Amino acid sequence: MKQRILDVEHLRTEFHLRSVNVAAVDDVSLTIDQGECVGLVGESGCGKSTTGLSIMRLLPRSGHVTSGRVLLDGRDLVPLSEAEMRQVRGRAVSMIFQDPMTSLNPTMTIGAQVAEPLVIHFGSSKKAALDRTLETLHLVGIPNPRERVDDYPHQLSGGLRQRVMIATALAAEPKLLIADEPTTALDVTIQAQILDLLDRLREELSMAVLLITHDMGVIAGRTDRVMVMYAGKMVEAATTDELFAATRHPYAEALLQSIPQLTQDASARLPSIPGHPPDLSRLPPGCRFAPRCRYASPACVEEPPLEEAAAGHLVACFHPVGVLPGSGAAAAWSAPGAPSGIPEPPLPPATTPLEPSGAPSRDGDPMPPDAATRRLALAAAPVLVEVDHLVKEYPVRGGGMRRRVGSVKAVSDVSFGIRRGETFGLVGESGCGKSTLGRMVAALERPTSGTVRLGGDELLRLRGADLRRRRRELQLMFQDPYASLDPRMRVGSILREPLVVQGVGDRRQQWETVASLLDEVGLSRRAVDLYPHEFSGGQRQRIGLARALTLNPRLVVADEPVSALDVSIQSQILNLMKALQRNHGLTYLVISHDLAVLRYLSDTIGVMYLGKMVELGAADDIYARPAHPYTHGLIQAIPVPDPSIEKAKRSAAVRGELPSAVNPPSGCRFRTRCPLAQEICAEEEPPLRGFGPGHVAACHFPLLSPSADQQAGGAPVVSVTSEPAPGAS
Amino acid sequence: MTGFVVRRFGQAVVVMIIVSIVIFGILHALPGGLVRAQLGPRATAFSVHELTIQEGLNKPIVVQYGIWAWHALQGRLGFSYKLNESVGALLSQYLPRDLLLVGISLLLAIAIAVPLGLWQGYRRNRPDDHALSALMLVFYSMPSFLLGVILIVVLNIWVDVLPSTATNFGTGLGTDISVLALPVFALCLGNVSYFSRYMRSSTVDNLLSDHVRTALAKGASPRRLLLRHVLRNSLTSTVTLIGLTLPYVLSGSLIIEALFNYPGMGLLFWNAAQDRDFPVLLGVVLVVTVATVVGNLLADLGYAALDPRIRYK
Ligand code: SF4
Ligand code: SF4
Repeated sequence: MKQRILDVEHLRTEFHLRSVNVAAVDDVSLTIDQGECVGLVGESGCGKSTTGLSIMRLLPRSGHVTSGRVLLDGRDLVPLSEAEMRQVRGRAVSMIFQDPMTSLNPTMTIGAQVAEPLVIHFGSSKKAALDRTLETLHLVGIPNPRERVDDYPHQLSGGLRQRVMIATALAAEPKLLIADEPTTALDVTIQAQILDLLDRLREELSMAVLLITHDMGVIAGRTDRVMVMYAGKMVEAATTDELFAATRHPYAEALLQSIPQLTQDASARLPSIPGHPPDLSRLPPGCRFAPRCRYASPACVEEPPLEEAAAGHLVACFHPVGVLPGSGAAAAWSAPGAPSGIPEPPLPPATTPLEPSGAPSRDGDPMPPDAATRRLALAAAPVLVEVDHLVKEYPVRGGGMRRRVGSVKAVSDVSFGIRRGETFGLVGESGCGKSTLGRMVAALERPTSGTVRLGGDELLRLRGADLRRRRRELQLMFQDPYASLDPRMRVGSILREPLVVQGVGDRRQQWETVASLLDEVGLSRRAVDLYPHEFSGGQRQRIGLARALTLNPRLVVADEPVSALDVSIQSQILNLMKALQRNHGLTYLVISHDLAVLRYLSDTIGVMYLGKMVELGAADDIYARPAHPYTHGLIQAIPVPDPSIEKAKRSAAVRGELPSAVNPPSGCRFRTRCPLAQEICAEEEPPLRGFGPGHVAACHFPLLSPSADQQAGGAPVVSVTSEPAPGAS
Repeated sequence: MTGFVVRRFGQAVVVMIIVSIVIFGILHALPGGLVRAQLGPRATAFSVHELTIQEGLNKPIVVQYGIWAWHALQGRLGFSYKLNESVGALLSQYLPRDLLLVGISLLLAIAIAVPLGLWQGYRRNRPDDHALSALMLVFYSMPSFLLGVILIVVLNIWVDVLPSTATNFGTGLGTDISVLALPVFALCLGNVSYFSRYMRSSTVDNLLSDHVRTALAKGASPRRLLLRHVLRNSLTSTVTLIGLTLPYVLSGSLIIEALFNYPGMGLLFWNAAQDRDFPVLLGVVLVVTVATVVGNLLADLGYAALDPRIRYK
C-alpha cells in the first residue's frame, strides 16, 4: 500500500462577490497516494483551479475555504496560520501554472528563481543553492544549466520556460505537485515533451501529482484516476481506464463526445452540449447540469448524491448512462449526429439523438451532404483564392544604429489555392508563419514578394471603390472576439456598423439583416441591446461570426476561431461554422494549431513548418496517410481521449523546439528535429512531391512512396498548387 | 545594452540640437538680433559693428549657428547688461543651488514615495491605505506654491521653527539646512503624492500578477515578496514617470524659489523676465532643457538597468 499524501475531505470554498457568497468548490473530496497522478478535469469555471488554489491556500482575497479538511501527510492545512502555511508551500506542496511566460519573474535570473525555495525553506548558502539549482535544471532537461542559470526568462523559449517553472517547483523536493493546466499555453509537440517530463519526474521522485486540465486527451494519457467537476461539484470519479471505458455521468459523456477526434466523420455534426455552464450565483435547483442534460427528468430537481456506481466509481446522477453494455462514451463517439430539438424532460433513454448544435433556433438546417458528394462538388468549383509564391520577411535590426542585420523568414515561398465553398485549414506550431500567411490572404499585410488573388484580382493592387467592394467579400474572425468588439457599442450597433459604413440598404433593412443574423448564429434578438461584456466567450464568438457575415462575404479568414473556448462551446461553434458555410456558400481559411479541429472543419489541410508549406492535401489524406515526418509527429502528439491509445505512446513524437526563423536550418528546415534526417537533408531543400491526388509533401525520405507521375501528383484536385518549387528559397 | 545606450545617447543629442536651433532662432528674431542681445539696447553703432564682425554675424546663418553653438558649448551664452555679468558666469553661480534644491527634494520624494506606494499597494483597500490615499490626494491637488504658503504659515508664522526666506543662503551649513527645509518640503510633497500613487498602482498590478503567485507558491514571506519580487518590477514603470516629471519639477522650483527668495535660477529667471533680459532668459531655458534631456536619459538608463528585457534587446 502506497502512502497517502493528500486527502481532501468535503472541501468547500466560497468567494464573496459584491453582496453574495458563491461556492466555487462545493463538497469536493479526493485523495492522492505517493507516486500517483490524479486528474481534475472540467471546463473553465468548474472550480478545478480553485480546488488547487484551496489546497495551497493561495486563494484571492475574496475567497475562503469555509469547510472541509485538506490533509497533507495527515496534517490538516485548513486551520494553519499564514506563517505555518508558508512553511508548507514550496516545500511539501508545490504548484505550477499555465502560462510560463507570466508565471516567472521577468526581472530575476532563472537561477535565482529556482534557488528561491531553497533559500526560503532551508536557508541554503549561495554555493549549496547553486549546486542544487544546477542539479534541478539538469533534472528537468535544461541543456547546459551552468550557462543558463544567469539567463532571464524572456531569453528562453516557451517550452524551456515551463521546464524552469517545473524546476522551481521541484527544487525543494515536494511530496505533492499541483500542476494547473501546465501545457495549455504550449504547442502540442512541446506539450508532449513537458508531460513526459512530469511523468518521469513523478516516477523518479515518487511524487504525488494533481493534474488540473480541461483536456480529456491529457487526462487519458497521464493520470491514474480522474475526477470530473461541473459547476463546483464533483460529478464523477473513477480510475482513468474505467472512466473512459464506462462513462456514467451525462456531462462527462457529453464532454467526451464533443471533442473533435482525428477519427471523426467530418461530414457528421459534432455532438455538442447546448447552452453554457451556470452562473455560480444563480445555480439551478437540484442537479446543476440539468438545464443542459439530455437525460434530465423530474427527479433531477433534487440534488443527486455522489454514490458508488461500481467499485471505486463514483457518480452524482439519477440516471447514469452506460448502464447498458456498449453504450459508454467509446461507443457513443460514433453516434450519428442527426438533428433534433432540445429534448424535453422527461425523455431519458440513451437512444435520444444528441442535441445537434448550439443553434437550436435553426431547425431548417439541411442535413450535411456526405463527404463524397462534397468532394465532387468542390472539385468542380472555381478557385476563389490563389496564393502564389508568397514570401514575407521582417527585417531584424540590431546594434547601436539599428542596422538591418538579418530577417525573420516568416513565410517562404508558399503557394496554394482555395476553391469556392472549400475550407482550407492551415496548421503548424506557433511561429510557423501561419498567422502571417492568413494576414496576407486577408490583405492586412503586404507580402515581400508573391501574390494573393481573390476571385482573380490582386487585392493589394486595387484602389478606391473596387477595393471597398472587394473588402466586403473578405471578412475576419479572431481568436478572442472580445478584443475586436468595441466594448462601448451595443451588439446591435456593432453588427449594423458595416452595413452603415458600406451604405447597404436603409435603416429598416439594416435592422432586419441584424435580426436575421442573430437568428442564424443562434443568439436571441434581445442581444442587440446588450454590450459585448454581457456575453460568454462562446456567445461572443457567435457575435464575431455574425459580424463577419454582415456583408455577405465570400471568404472568411478565421484565426484560431475556437482555441479560446471550452470544448462543449467549441463544438457548438464548429457546427455553426459548418452550417453557415452551407447556407451562405462561404469559403473558409481556418488557421489553427489544433489538427483535430482542422481535420473536422477542413476539406484541405496545409501543414506549415518554419515558414514552409511542408505538406498539403485532403484533410482525410493528411491524417490517414501523412507523408511528411513533421505531419506524422504532429498527429502523434495530439492527446487522444482514449487511455489505451494514449498510454501506448511513449516518448514525444517530435523532439526539441522550433529553431529560429532568422537563420532557418539549411536544406530541409525540419531536419534539426526530424528522426529520419540524413546528410542530404542538410544539403538540399526537398521539393514538393506528389503522393496521390491533391496530396503533396516536401521530404527526401517521406513516409509514403511518392506517386509515379510526380507532375500529375503535384497538382491537387481539391486545391490548386503551383508546380513543385525546387530549391526556391 | 551597449546598443541601447548608444541609441539613447544619439536620441538625446538630436533633441539637444533641435532645441538649440529653436533657441538660436528666437535669439535671432529678437530686435537687433544676437548683437543687441549681447550688447544691450544702448550700445553704439560702432561697437555693434565691431561685435558683428568679431562674432561672425555677417556670415551665412548656418555659420552663425555654428559659431553660436560652439560658444554655447563653452558656456559663452552672451552678456547680461542688466546684471552686468556674462550669462555663463550667472548660470554657473545659480545653477548649483538649483541642483541642490531640486536634487534634494526629488531624492526625498523618491525616498518617501517608493516605500509608501509599496506599502499602500500591499495594504490596498484597507483603512490605512485609504487614509494615506486621501492625504496624498490633498497634496496632489495643491499647487506647490500653495503648499509653500501653507508651510510658511504653519512652520514660520504660527510656530516659528524655520525661516521663511532663503536670502541668507550660503552663510554656513546650519543655516543652509534650515533655510532649505521649507522650499524642499514645498517642492517635494506634491511629488511624493504623485510618485506614490503611481507606485501604489504598479505595486497592486504586480501583486496580482502570475509571477507573484508563483513566489507565493514557493512559500515567500510578504517581506520577500515585496522586496524581491514587487519592488524592482514596480520601480521600472515609476522610474520612467520620474524622468517624465522632471520639467515640471524644474518649473515648479522656479515659483518656489521666487516665493522663498531662494537665490537660484528661478529667481534669476523671474528677475530676468521682469527686466526682459533675454540673454539670461534663454540661457536659463537652455539649461533647463539640457537638464530635462539628461534626466530623461538617466531615467531610461535606470529603466534598462532594472528591466533585463530592455537590456538584452
Ligand atoms: S440525468 Fe438528472 S441527475 Fe443526471 S446529470 Fe442529468 S440532470 Fe443531472
Ligand atoms: S527532408 Fe529529411 S529532414 Fe526533412 S523531413 Fe524529410 S527526412 Fe526529415
